[in-house]
Amino acid sequence: MISIKDIKVVFGRGTPLQKQALNGVSLTIEQGSFVTVIGSNGAGKSTLLGVLAGDVLPTEGQVLIGTTDVTRRSTASRAGLVARVFQDPLTGSCGPLSIEENLALAARRGERRGLVSALGPKRREHFRERIADLNLGLENRMQDRMDLLSGGQRQAVSLVMATLAGSEVLLLDEHTAALDPGMAEFIMGLTQKIVSERKLTTLMVTHSMRQALDYGHRTIMLHGGEIVLDVAGDNRKNLDVEDLIAMFRKMRGQTLDDDALLIG
Amino acid sequence: MSQIAFWGAVELGLVYAFVALGVFLAFRVLDFPDLTVDGSFPLGAAVAAVLIIAGVNPWFASGVAMIAGAAAGLVTAMLNVRFRILNLLASILTMIALFSVNLRVMGKPNVALLNVETMLTPFFGHGLRDFYVRPLFIGVLVVFAVILVWRFLESDAGLAMRATGANARMSRAQGINTDRQIYLGIAISNALVALGGALFAQTNGFADVTSGVGTIVVGLAAVIIGETLLGTRGILIALIGCVLGSILYRIAIQLALSTDILGLQASDLNFVTAVLVTVALVLPRLRRGGAA
Repeated sequence: MISIKDIKVVFGRGTPLQKQALNGVSLTIEQGSFVTVIGSNGAGKSTLLGVLAGDVLPTEGQVLIGTTDVTRRSTASRAGLVARVFQDPLTGSCGPLSIEENLALAARRGERRGLVSALGPKRREHFRERIADLNLGLENRMQDRMDLLSGGQRQAVSLVMATLAGSEVLLLDEHTAALDPGMAEFIMGLTQKIVSERKLTTLMVTHSMRQALDYGHRTIMLHGGEIVLDVAGDNRKNLDVEDLIAMFRKMRGQTLDDDALLIG
Repeated sequence: MSQIAFWGAVELGLVYAFVALGVFLAFRVLDFPDLTVDGSFPLGAAVAAVLIIAGVNPWFASGVAMIAGAAAGLVTAMLNVRFRILNLLASILTMIALFSVNLRVMGKPNVALLNVETMLTPFFGHGLRDFYVRPLFIGVLVVFAVILVWRFLESDAGLAMRATGANARMSRAQGINTDRQIYLGIAISNALVALGGALFAQTNGFADVTSGVGTIVVGLAAVIIGETLLGTRGILIALIGCVLGSILYRIAIQLALSTDILGLQASDLNFVTAVLVTVALVLPRLRRGGAA
């Protein structure tokens, strides 16, 4: 479960560039729920994700993940609760390390790292099986450096990495944005499968309205650091991209001029 | 080159293999350009020499030298992590300060270690000539060090350190305290370098406050020569490359200085070093056929 209360984030306070990135956002996401987040550039999507991950510490408010208050905790110290896939495939994994070493790193997320060999035969076999499930043939390349893989392959491995250790929430930060359409579809299918199999509480930020409505149980839209739309259930089922845009216009009483939002 | 000169070069190469391993940890694993080594090498020599002269067991003295080196590394790491001073500058500050510290430790610029019991003394006089015993003894220590560093870097803890150098943002998302990794890595690195200094003092019979000048270049030269020869396929090969690079570097220097045709003398050492490192850096690019 995620519960955030009245989160405010101000960047560059007291300078001419001061920006209110989040303006009193409250949101509760039930255990096992899959929520998609949309919004134009600068709406606060990334900041919201950063607040949950620990990269951004809120100026005001409270963040609960599960039953733990993580408001002031660093990224590293809350990593046991938060699994994450980044937008840039290069960010989510270590290029110079091998596939299996990356998996070994992720398997100990949020746990003590001792002097035991990181790649014992048992772990190796386990990692191999998990990678074989992807059906990408990567199980035969376990010792290859991660930076030899394509962006899509890296994201697929990153998704496996996100589920090797337990977590309270899965954060997906536009994790298909850097991929070609075919690979993006593959990664979304994989995401869907992993999230439903493991009943993960998931927050997915996306630029694509289509994705936002096709996947998950609930969709929220951010604008100017506030939640301006929050739909779930039948209301959401009957929505399509055009409705979403119309609704957005109505709620904000202004025209939509950001092309990024229109990309289906 | 005479046999004695050759084995002398191998011995020096093995002593500096500890420096190469330390430099590898800082520069390659943590991606932290650490010049502290120019101070921690003579620090190790000074601490070991002073303690041995005071009658302390040479093994214990060398251990204390390693702790002193680790402490120097921690200072550099703290300047960088805690006070946000640029890593290179932080290490230069520590290096400069260590020059004074080393003079304090020794009380004078140079301490002789003659007619005292060193780590090597028990191994002399068993039939093997001294100039074989020294490289053999240090070679065994180097093998131990390589195995320890290798096993560490392939453990969960070592993987966290390698990840910190490769991708700090990802490491934090995986729950790795990257600041702590820098403290730990730079401390281990300088402990190894200080051990090299302690062994240098014991094999050469003196500790000198200026013996640290250029340590970083020698260490880097060894790492780069190793990478040029063996490539970067895996940790163990990289570590063996460091040792091999360090030995070959010393042999190359010895050859250059002892070849009469070139007309070089001992004071040309630094120039020869610069040329060697440049060649080691440029060669792999030429081989790839790209513009160097």
